[in-house]
Amino acid sequence: MSQPEYTKEKKVGEGTYAVVYLGTKQSTGRKIAVKEIKTSEFKDGLDMSAIREVKYLQEIQHENVIELVDIFLAYDNLNLVLEFLPSDLEKVIKDKSILFTPADIKSWMLMTLRGVHHCHRNFILHRDLKPNNLLISPDGQIKVADFGLARTFPSAQEILTSNVVTRWYRAPELLFGAKHYTSAVDIWSTGVIFAELMLRIPYLPGQTDVDQIEVTFRALGTPTDKDWPDVSFFPAYNKLQIYPPPSREELRRRFIAASENALNFMCGMLTMNPQKRWNAVQCLESDYFKEAPAPSDPSTIQIS
Amino acid sequence: MTSIRQQTPVSDGKASKDSSTEKPSNYKRLSDDDLFRHSSQYRFWSFTPEQLEQKRIQVNAQAVQSIEEDLRNFVADNKTDLNEEEIKTIEMKAVPVTAEEELKLINLYAKKVQMIAQRLNLPTEIVATSITFFRRFYLENSVHKFEPKAIVLTTIFLACKSDNYFIGIDSFCEKTRGSKEQILKYEFPLLESLKFSLFNHHPYRPLHGFFLDIQAVLHGKVDLSYMGHIYDRCKKRITEALLTDAVYFYSPPQITLSALMIEDEALTTRYLELKFHGNNPDSSADEQKTISQDISISLEKLMTLIRDCKKIIEQSTNTSVEEAKSIAARLYFCQNPEDLLKKLKKRKHDEQDSPRAEKKTRVE
Repeated sequence: MSQPEYTKEKKVGEGTYAVVYLGTKQSTGRKIAVKEIKTSEFKDGLDMSAIREVKYLQEIQHENVIELVDIFLAYDNLNLVLEFLPSDLEKVIKDKSILFTPADIKSWMLMTLRGVHHCHRNFILHRDLKPNNLLISPDGQIKVADFGLARTFPSAQEILTSNVVTRWYRAPELLFGAKHYTSAVDIWSTGVIFAELMLRIPYLPGQTDVDQIEVTFRALGTPTDKDWPDVSFFPAYNKLQIYPPPSREELRRRFIAASENALNFMCGMLTMNPQKRWNAVQCLESDYFKEAPAPSDPSTIQIS
Repeated sequence: MTSIRQQTPVSDGKASKDSSTEKPSNYKRLSDDDLFRHSSQYRFWSFTPEQLEQKRIQVNAQAVQSIEEDLRNFVADNKTDLNEEEIKTIEMKAVPVTAEEELKLINLYAKKVQMIAQRLNLPTEIVATSITFFRRFYLENSVHKFEPKAIVLTTIFLACKSDNYFIGIDSFCEKTRGSKEQILKYEFPLLESLKFSLFNHHPYRPLHGFFLDIQAVLHGKVDLSYMGHIYDRCKKRITEALLTDAVYFYSPPQITLSALMIEDEALTTRYLELKFHGNNPDSSADEQKTISQDISISLEKLMTLIRDCKKIIEQSTNTSVEEAKSIAARLYFCQNPEDLLKKLKKRKHDEQDSPRAEKKTRVE
């Protein structure tokens, strides 16, 4: 490797298992990000998160999923070359100088759901959807990123860990410690993100795992056996405070700018019973996307 | 099946901008088959028989070329020390193996991968991934460059990690009596040879689907416990199919149907006939219509395809241990001609001492 094809110009981040650099693809001048996986630190060879990231990104090519441009090995390190994405939804939500409209939110939701739907129809669970993992390209496209916690749809007998998804975006079945769950966990996260976009503050900000249960059910009502058969069989259930679900009026007051269709859309994603929760196709086909205002053209949305 | 590389990003499910509840006239969901054609398994690891053969010949030819060059250099470098008999021995015994022989050796070791993975009590899918990784590695590399024995454990180790079934290296080595350094050393070359494509669609999931669908379509006409037997037998059959080239020519559900056909031809044929030509009293006319619309292949064509696939699955990939040993011996002597000469000297020496004592070379 005499003339490296990818340069690393600026270190922009460091996580537990990787360092991220900004750089350029020499042959085309394209701006890229290089995620250098620290291999030497792991006595068990390549780290699982890195393997997951490679496995799932290599499988998916979609406008709304981050593009894995290339992979190369150099100096005993694995390097993932990713498309350069200057912003993310968390930054945009937090930056109070940026104004965004209901049409912008609709555009972001549409792009996010297309990416999520594409993962799901390829039998991939993301398991860590949050504003911080929804990156934004220079032309305004949302890109689902960070597949370090992703996995394939489990078979019926497989036992899963419920310790996934960043706390505030964790679906009720995960809060209950379910050993088996489905793509519905990603839809819940998407619903919480939608609420956050409308409120511009985190919707269910639990302080601890226990508090998260409290915060979630206080806002949305404690599920009962009536709408979620056998939910009371979860070990954690008996300790629960039973809150009634919010009335439509309460929801309208909390989400002032939301249309009736927008509220239906949100409630579909934030349905307690994972079997009744909307799937990605139902979300994409909802009336929310069909009514005015039309989703903004992504390239016109202000992101910085 | 041609390996078309489709790079176009998939976009669909687009909500129409008008508020009508009607689906647009061009509304069409991608079929599972469309999706499979975007998978890395299809993009990187599906071939026509000609392409596959070409690939194996090429990998072998490249390795042979460099081995022959090394041997020529060895003879040239040692010209003054080598006598005629020694040169002749090298020419006779240090002969690189052919593509066909490589395949025999790989087949034998692929079975070893299966055995070891099963002995570790790994889930069926991970046994399948291990076999798949191992065989793909040797579509990219020659046994001349990487000794199969050395790759076996690394493929199982990586398959476990890739399929979310983590076993720490120390515990893995303990269970397999493998060398930690060696297993980890080959992890990168393996990953690279796999083109970083780790996602596998194995035929077990389609088996589950067909299993349920057969019971639905032939409701009341199949015995449940009998179906259970068929299911278990098909599962074994599928694992065996993963050791054949069927995986490169056919999609996972096609392999599943072939396995079903092997286990119960009458049942499978009846199921497919009903599926294609309807006559299912339980489904409405609407449903029947959608079924025939979704099917892009005729029953006759599918049957031919399944029969061809079945033939490949039923072909044995067995390699005798004797044959494998002689191939492995040649591999070794190609790389270590000096050992061949040592052996020659030793034999001559032994013959002088006692003519019967011919020691067997130990190669595995």
